[in-house]
Amino acid sequence: MDNIKNQQIKKQVERWDLFARLTPTMFLLTTLLLTIFDIVKIEYAFYVGLIGFAITAVTWWWWAIFTIKYLITTLARAAANLTNVDQEVADVKMELRKLKDET
Amino acid sequence: MKHSTFKIIKAATNITSGLSMSALIVLGVMYISFTNAFVFNNSGISVTNNPVTGQQINFILEGSREHECVLTRVHSHATNTKTGEIFDFDFDKKVYLRSGDYLGNATGVVDHQWGIPKPENMPAGVYEASLYSEFDCVYLLFTKSKVQMFDDIALIIE
Repeated sequence: MDNIKNQQIKKQVERWDLFARLTPTMFLLTTLLLTIFDIVKIEYAFYVGLIGFAITAVTWWWWAIFTIKYLITTLARAAANLTNVDQEVADVKMELRKLKDET
Repeated sequence: MKHSTFKIIKAATNITSGLSMSALIVLGVMYISFTNAFVFNNSGISVTNNPVTGQQINFILEGSREHECVLTRVHSHATNTKTGEIFDFDFDKKVYLRSGDYLGNATGVVDHQWGIPKPENMPAGVYEASLYSEFDCVYLLFTKSKVQMFDDIALIIE
């Protein structure tokens, strides 16, 4: 289950990376061409950019919050498991020492 | 694709997206500051030949202008402070007294002086003149129609 979720997060990070690399350049070039050829008014392009920026920021914010929450939960569980393992190793060591002392 | 080629493409897209983002932010801020800017800053209009005794009212506009703007429409009138009677000024009969920028599109310090014939049947008295002007302003790629008003211009007719 965790593995599937981890793969999903990895894919999402890759998509965000691709989005961040391509979108600003594509938007800038498209807007410049459309405004230079007088197809779109610069005012509309500005508002489209502003709305796009706002939607991206809000989406990214919530995605980041949920991902961080998931990562912290995973980390806490891993830490708890490690503590258990550490305790079990200590118990085994104690048992072994007792056996050694008896023999 | 080779690993080195992939790394170069990745670095190139990083740089172009960073530069594009910076350009978008700079252009956005410039557009907001352009649209919010007044046509004239620290400006005022006053009548220079107060109290007016002749047939011409002389005005002066002082201030500064940040962006290139062309005057497209203007309307001006004076309201009698006692009776409330309104007299329109005929801007078609405007004469420039002093202006280094007759077309009105230069930036920097503005010092316009012009005269307008006194409206007929305008009785003596104290008036409050106002001027409403529309401009088409241009700055880099941006264009915007703007309005600037000047109110409470003291005018005394004798």
